[in-house]
Amino acid sequence: MKPSLKKKLRKFNIVTHRDVGYFFSTLIIIYCLSGFALNHVDDWNPDFIITKTDVEIPSSFPFENPSPSHINSLSTIVGESNYRVYDKPTPDQVKVYYKNATLHIHKKSLSGTYEQVKRRPIFYEANVLHRNSLAGWKWVSDIFAFFLIVISITGLFVLKGKKGFRKRGVWFMLAGALLPVIAWLIFGLK
Amino acid sequence: MPHLLNVNYLTQRLFIAILTCCTLFSCSEKKQATEQQTKDSQKIAVLLVNHGSHSPTWRKALTDLDSTVRGTILKDKRISDVKTAFMEYTEPSIATRMKQFDSAGYTDVIIVPIFLTVSSHSFDDIPTIIGTKEDPQSLETLKIEKIERYVAKAKTHITPLLDFTTILEQNILRRYQAISKNSKDEGLALIAYGDAGYNDEWSALMDSVGQHVIANTELTTYSYNWCGHIAHYNPDSTTIAINEVLQEKPSAVVMPVLVAHDEMFQVKIIGDGINAISDHSNKVIYRPDAILPDKNVEDWVISIVATHADHITSNRIM
Repeated sequence: MKPSLKKKLRKFNIVTHRDVGYFFSTLIIIYCLSGFALNHVDDWNPDFIITKTDVEIPSSFPFENPSPSHINSLSTIVGESNYRVYDKPTPDQVKVYYKNATLHIHKKSLSGTYEQVKRRPIFYEANVLHRNSLAGWKWVSDIFAFFLIVISITGLFVLKGKKGFRKRGVWFMLAGALLPVIAWLIFGLK
Repeated sequence: MPHLLNVNYLTQRLFIAILTCCTLFSCSEKKQATEQQTKDSQKIAVLLVNHGSHSPTWRKALTDLDSTVRGTILKDKRISDVKTAFMEYTEPSIATRMKQFDSAGYTDVIIVPIFLTVSSHSFDDIPTIIGTKEDPQSLETLKIEKIERYVAKAKTHITPLLDFTTILEQNILRRYQAISKNSKDEGLALIAYGDAGYNDEWSALMDSVGQHVIANTELTTYSYNWCGHIAHYNPDSTTIAINEVLQEKPSAVVMPVLVAHDEMFQVKIIGDGINAISDHSNKVIYRPDAILPDKNVEDWVISIVATHADHITSNRIM
């Protein structure tokens, strides 16, 4: 290869790595944050902050056939003034719906749970993108994935010499590749 | 009394009586005509709603149910169409079907949820999707899961769930008897989807099913556990339920209490739960089947639809 062409290619590689990296830096961070959140989906709700408060229900409450006025006075216990609708999941339970909350009460225990739902800031928005909850976003996501490969490959050839890919980088790359290999081996042996 | 003999008075009274009769007759005729008109303009459809699944096998079981009941339901001249909708994952969704019913001019839609017992799906999600409720958590979840919400023009009528009958007890008994080798030496492990919000109701349903099998066979022990979201889709819950009965009996019959066959549940989750049992090929009896197909479920759908059609037509007339 001609030295001038090699120089041009090297420059193109560095510029591509730098500018594509700048461009996608926000998305990379968003996807990483969402990755943390969704990785631990069994341990927490990555999208919503659900606050549950236990409440006691007066024994006089008519579970069988509550009227709107009964529901109104029940709502005051949890500080709500306007209910939207109420319904009975079972004959001895009543569920009342408010704008951003519900109150689910049980006759057996004369108790209930007041549940407020709030979006988890930053994570909710990050997850919307990571999970492709927005129609059409998957195409952006595909382009992003392609350019992540570009960033990775161009990154291998940014430096040259003693700390370049051939001398140093290759060993780090092989060490990193061991992680999935070990995982596959463990999975295969199971 | 003297005024009764007054001719003018009598004529006046007679006139009033005739007028009253005419008015009443005319009103009654008018009412009958309105009733007939309402009856004529009434167009009822049936929507069989199920949870939905990525599995084509699962979806086929539900569309097969639709095909089986369709003919009988449509013999009832009050009902003009029967469709199936999937709540999640695939089309046709509930919104798609409701839009189709609206554009076809249906006035009433009987929604039959093919769900075992009360859960957030049947009690909150479906009513929120069709716009009869606004459960805050459902609203948010529907949005991020890209499930469309559509408030139909047609009046919607949601029927009770399968647990209002003894169909499930009979179904599990039949399926247990089909694979049981020796009831005396077996324990029954029931694996159902479960629901965190209605754990008591799901537990009661499993107890009722287990007790029914005990009452009708020589089986003496059963256990149950969940394989759905409440169990994080983890096979460990299945293993726990199997070990529970294996502590008392030499072998366990594992029974999926699931509407239809989904590879992720019957094969992966329950299958992996069984594989975790040592010597499972000798200790565990398992057939990865499901509640459907079941003649009783088909009959129940037909009968619940007829009951609701009666209710709708009589309500309109009244």
